[in-house]
Amino acid sequence: MAEHVILFAGPMGAGKTTAIRSLSEIEMVNTEASNTERHIVDKETTTVALDYGEITLGDDEKVRLYGVPGQRRFDFMWSILKERAKGMILLINNDAPDAVALAIDYLASFRELVESGSAVVGISRRDLARTPSPDDYADALSAAYPGSLIPVFTVDPRNAGQMTTVLLTLVATLDSRVQPEAVQS
Amino acid sequence: MTAIHREPRAIEIGEAALAEMRELAPSLVFAMIVTDDGFELAHAPQKTIDGGRFGSMTSSVQALSEAVSRELRIGASSYVVIAAENGHVLQQRVPGQSLILASLFDNHETLGKALSISRRCVEKLSAELAPHNLQGFPGSTTHP
Repeated sequence: MAEHVILFAGPMGAGKTTAIRSLSEIEMVNTEASNTERHIVDKETTTVALDYGEITLGDDEKVRLYGVPGQRRFDFMWSILKERAKGMILLINNDAPDAVALAIDYLASFRELVESGSAVVGISRRDLARTPSPDDYADALSAAYPGSLIPVFTVDPRNAGQMTTVLLTLVATLDSRVQPEAVQS
Repeated sequence: MTAIHREPRAIEIGEAALAEMRELAPSLVFAMIVTDDGFELAHAPQKTIDGGRFGSMTSSVQALSEAVSRELRIGASSYVVIAAENGHVLQQRVPGQSLILASLFDNHETLGKALSISRRCVEKLSAELAPHNLQGFPGSTTHP
């Protein structure tokens, strides 16, 4: 069975835990702690280590879904988990201050995945903030990573169908990548 | 409502408990009381290591250990030990609070004694925080 490890990254409150919960076929493993910084993000809990879920695509493709903590003070978990990841879904809540810059900032921490074309961006909470638009993100991403294609979606992390579309797009990209070994043989 | 790690009385209680812990264990290199989400309530001695990093890692390790206990259905996790070549890290919950005590001992301390000192400290913290009604702060009532 082919396996992929996909990371869900992005700021606190973007919907990473919710997205994995929507997608996972197994009972999700989570490491949420009470959030004492309610004045910054009004959310009862926050992920402090990782979220974990699994989904099977087709007959023989298992995808392991890892959510990383959104807060930068937990970035040691980003380093640990990105070593294993084949791809990443960056979720950005559109109502965050300067959301496009925030997206660029987060992507910089996962540069290897972004530059290898293994990242997609999901814009969440667009019902609460209509701007910036997906085009604003696409333009900024093209400028920051010329030559890298980073698909941008508008998503509701609670919607399993939407999240599956994003995940399938990423996995298809990863599967279609030409392996150097295959070319040589 | 103020989070517990910003409550002056709670900080005072935490600092006193850590000072007593240091007296009992000269091998204590560093100790910190942190909230579940990794914010510092108190530490001792004065910064010898990056406290912010230590606090965040404490929070992650605690959450992971509790996720494993849940997953395996083996009941509540009592403490976490990281035994390394040159010392050990011990983590223990403060009963009744969303607080964790994380202590770094050098290898002159036996694990048994470190555990006993750590347990004494969390019990003291639990007993002293409760009468001040400090367990009512956000996130401080989810653990036994």
